[in-house]
Order: sequence, then structure tokens, then C-alpha cells
Amino acid sequence: MVPSYIKTMPSSGIGHRIKESLPWYPFILINLAVFLLFNLVPWLSMFRNALYKTDLLSHSEFVGLGHFGDMVADERLHQAVRNTVLFALLYVPPIVFVSLVVAILVNQRLRGMRFFRSIYFLPNVTNIAVLALVFRRFLSPRPDAPINYMLGLVGIPAQKFLLDIHQALASIAAVGVWQSFGFFMVIWVAALQAIPQPLYDAGMVDGAYGWRLHRYVTIPLLRPTAAFIVVITTIGALQEFGAIYILTGGGPVYATTTAVYHIYSQAFNFTRFGYANALSILLFALILVIAWIQSRYLKFDEEVY
Amino acid sequence: MSTVRTELDPGLLGKIRAWVGYQPGQEIKTILTYALMAVVGVSTVGPFVIMLSVSLTQDIRFLLFPVDLIPQPFTVENFGLLFSRTLAARWLYNSFVVAVISTLGGVITSAMAGYAFARGNFLGKEFLFYIFIGILIMPDTALIIPQYILLSDLGLVNSYTALIGPWFASIFGTFLMRQQFLSIPRDYDDAAHMDGANLFQIFGSVLLPQLVPALATLAILRFMGNWNSFLYPLIVTTKANMRTLPVGLGTVARSGGDAGLDMAGAVLGFLPTFIIFLLGQRYIIQGVSLSGLKG
Repeated sequence: MVPSYIKTMPSSGIGHRIKESLPWYPFILINLAVFLLFNLVPWLSMFRNALYKTDLLSHSEFVGLGHFGDMVADERLHQAVRNTVLFALLYVPPIVFVSLVVAILVNQRLRGMRFFRSIYFLPNVTNIAVLALVFRRFLSPRPDAPINYMLGLVGIPAQKFLLDIHQALASIAAVGVWQSFGFFMVIWVAALQAIPQPLYDAGMVDGAYGWRLHRYVTIPLLRPTAAFIVVITTIGALQEFGAIYILTGGGPVYATTTAVYHIYSQAFNFTRFGYANALSILLFALILVIAWIQSRYLKFDEEVY
Repeated sequence: MSTVRTELDPGLLGKIRAWVGYQPGQEIKTILTYALMAVVGVSTVGPFVIMLSVSLTQDIRFLLFPVDLIPQPFTVENFGLLFSRTLAARWLYNSFVVAVISTLGGVITSAMAGYAFARGNFLGKEFLFYIFIGILIMPDTALIIPQYILLSDLGLVNSYTALIGPWFASIFGTFLMRQQFLSIPRDYDDAAHMDGANLFQIFGSVLLPQLVPALATLAILRFMGNWNSFLYPLIVTTKANMRTLPVGLGTVARSGGDAGLDMAGAVLGFLPTFIIFLLGQRYIIQGVSLSGLKG
């Protein structure tokens, strides 16, 4: 006969399987309901909505893939995509660099580093409406507004910042870097502290000192973190909205109308909800493709040891 | 050179070195480090200090340098104007209701689902896991418009249900809690099971009390995330009295009032998260490191 302990193994009968499963479903029920209603249903309906022209009130008309044809002629969209990519380029490299430099500074074993880490993190827990209220005033074109005043001290003439079509996007990117560098600093610090000391010891035994030690130990070991931060900040940059909405409202002359702002504006200023849906699909595809290319190119999870 | 240093070592320099904690011979590097960190620190904290000062200054139309850091005379009339001219009190109330319920709901459902994914062996588990990952990679902003259309069809625009709904479950939270449950040995479950405890009792009385730090981390992250969210609450509310504080402050910013009023609004929006940050800093930084190392 089979030994008695075999009976504790789950039997393969489907009836038994269901009986075994049932007690677990209450634990995931609310989760599932929320995701179904607020994620899956909108996600699927996005593809259906995109086929209709609707203002959500009286008018609704099937246009098939017509909205995707409209995109070809939508000059504002082309500018919005260019602005979005430009914004990512203005935001991602500075934040990766600044947060790394600050992380290396605060990672030294000196007194007061925890205090500095905390204050650098502060803007990151503050909401964008507060920061925008403050920086609208700081970036005012008046010569004695804070930023212009400080530029004046070093002999630079007053700038128009948010009111200048060539400076507005960069100004918003700068506010973004100021807000978020503390967040990525914390991630860099965690990565720096995760490098095992024996690797440095081994490097020194092999004759590497100073810069060479960083070149062959620190930098290779930080690469997965660098890749993670680049992908995350890019995804964030492609979705920037709050600061643009409050600081410039997409202007001046559409200079800060990014993809998300264009979608918002098409839906809520022009009540073109079907078209905004089609644009959302485009945004989704754009983010997915860029994140995919980046993680392929940056070799996200390649072993570095 | 070295003789000079040995002479100074037992003296003041040695004491400073021991207190600050730097290696011998690194005076210049240490001073440069502190100088740089002070510059970054001032540029980080400075705007908040100026915000507070201006909010307490009388009749201030524009924010111009130099600013009186300690206003003369000192006044709270900007806050009076904020509460009388705008719906700031109502927005503050809305934000609190929405953030508290969203946080409680999100943490509880994450813990429950995390437990099921860590310990359960139920039909559809792997399938659901892939669905969850699929939702996780879906950018939120791409979903805003279809979410609005759905809520509009359901008549839920301008409702607390709409503001709280998506926050009542969290994929990140579910995965985080699953990891936490996996870190507890199954022996606890088995022992409780032998004593006759059912799954809910094992979950609530045996395992969950061991995960209080993780729950606190998740709660703080969810509260901050909800409080600071902007695009979603902007879209699902159209009536001024249903706005959350950040969205309401956004309308204040765009209405072009006095600097004093704007900064009073900014202070009001700043304080709640600042207080939570002061109290729960450790959990926040820990949570960020967790989310970062995940990649």
C-alpha cells in the first residue's frame, strides 16, 4: 500500500482543486474588482472609444480608424510629440547626473549626512501645485524676481523663462529636476551601499586605486541602477503634466504642449473625447516602445558580477 | 608637513576630525564637500522658507528680492483671505477624506492579496499575476481619458467614489506585501493551523502583526502618493467644491492673485506632507530604496 503521507499531496481532481482554491478568493476579491473597474475596463474601452467621434453629450459617430488618419495632419500633435521628446532630453540627463553627484557626496561617512539627505528629499514629498505656486513667482520675468535677481548678481540680464518659447520647457524641466533629484539620490545611495566592500578590497589587491577602482568596480556595479533610473525618469518625463498645467498651461504658443497636455486639451478644452482616446493609445505605444528600447539597449538586468 | 599634523592631532584639529569623521589629510576635500552640500541644501530649503515668509507678509502683490525673511509686521491675513475667498477649507477636507480612505483601503487590500499570492494555491493565480504585471506597466496617464469616459457613463464624475476608487487597490502594494509574507517562515501558518485557526485568523492575528513596519511604509507611501496626485483628481472633478487641495491650489495659481495669497495656499498645501515627512521619514526613505532596488 502507499504510505500514509502521500495522502497529504494534493489530488489532481478538479473538484478538489476548486475546493482548495475557494478560501483564497475572498482575499483577492476587492483587488480584482478595483482593477477590473478602474484599469481593465478603461483599458479595453480605450480601443473601442478611439473608433468613435464623441463629445460625451449628444453627438457620437463611428469613424473607424479615422482618428489615426487625423493624427497625420494634426500639426499640434507633431509639435506635442517633439516637445515631449525634447522635455525628456532636457530632464533625464540632468536628473541622472545631479542625483548621482549628490548621492556620492552624501554617501561619505561624515557627520550630518542624514540631515542633508532628508532636506534634499523634501521637495519630492511636496505636491506639484505647491511647487508651481512658488516657482511661478520665482521664475517671473521681472528683474527683481528671485531667479532673475540672482542672475543679476552675476551679471546675467533678466530672462523671461516661462514666457519665452525657447526657455519655457527647459524652465519646467529644471523645476522637475529640483523636485525629484532627492528621490533618485536615495536610490543611488542604496545602490552604492549595496556594493560589497570585499570587491573593493579585491580590486586593491589587483592593483586598482582611486579612479581606477571606481572605473572597474563602482561604475560596472551601478549600471543596472543607472539603467533603472534612466528608464523610470524617461517614463516620468513622457507623462509630465501637473507642472505644465499650472506653470504655463501649454503655452507660450504651444511651446510646452506635451503629448499628455495635448490629450488633456483635446478632451477637456475641445470635447474631442474619441480623438483623445486614440491619442492615448499613441501615448501608450510611445512610452512602451521607448521604455522597451531603453531597457534593451541599457541591458537592464544583465549580470554584472 | 607631517610633523605639523602630528603636533596638531591631539589638539583642536584632532577633535574636529573625530567629531566630523573624516580621514587625516582630507581637510580640503571635507570642506569642499560641506560647502557643496550647503549650496544644494539652501537651494532646496530656501524656496520653502521664502514661501513661508511671504505668506506672513502684509499686502504683498509680487514676490521680489530682497525678501524680508522675518516679516514686519507679521500677519496671518493672507490665510484669512485664502479661507474666505477660496474653498481652501473644503479642498483640505476633501483631500483628507480621500487620502485617509484611499490609504486604509489600499493597505488592507494589498495585505490581503499579498497574503493570497504568497501562501495561496488557487486556480488562476499565475494568470492573475501576469494581469497584475500588465497593469503595472500600463502608464497611468494613457488611461486617464477612458477612465473619465467610464466614470462619466456611470455618473460618478464629482464623487468621492471616483476620487478614491482606483486607490483602493495597489499592484505595487500587493507585490510588496507578497514579498513580506514570503519572508515569514511557513511554520507560523502551520502551527496556527494546528491550533484550529482559519485563513483569516492566520492572516490577521499571526502574520500581519509581524509586518507592521512594512504596513507603515506602504501606508505612508500611499498617503503621500494620493495626497500629491494631480492629473486624476483634476479630471474626475469639475465642480469647485469637489476639488482636492492640490487641484484647488492649481486653480488659485492660475487665477493670478497676490503673491501673499498664493504663498498662503502653498503653505497650506505644503504642511500636511511636511509633517508626515518629519514623522515618517525613515519609512519613506526605506520605501524608496525598496522600490528602487526592485529594478
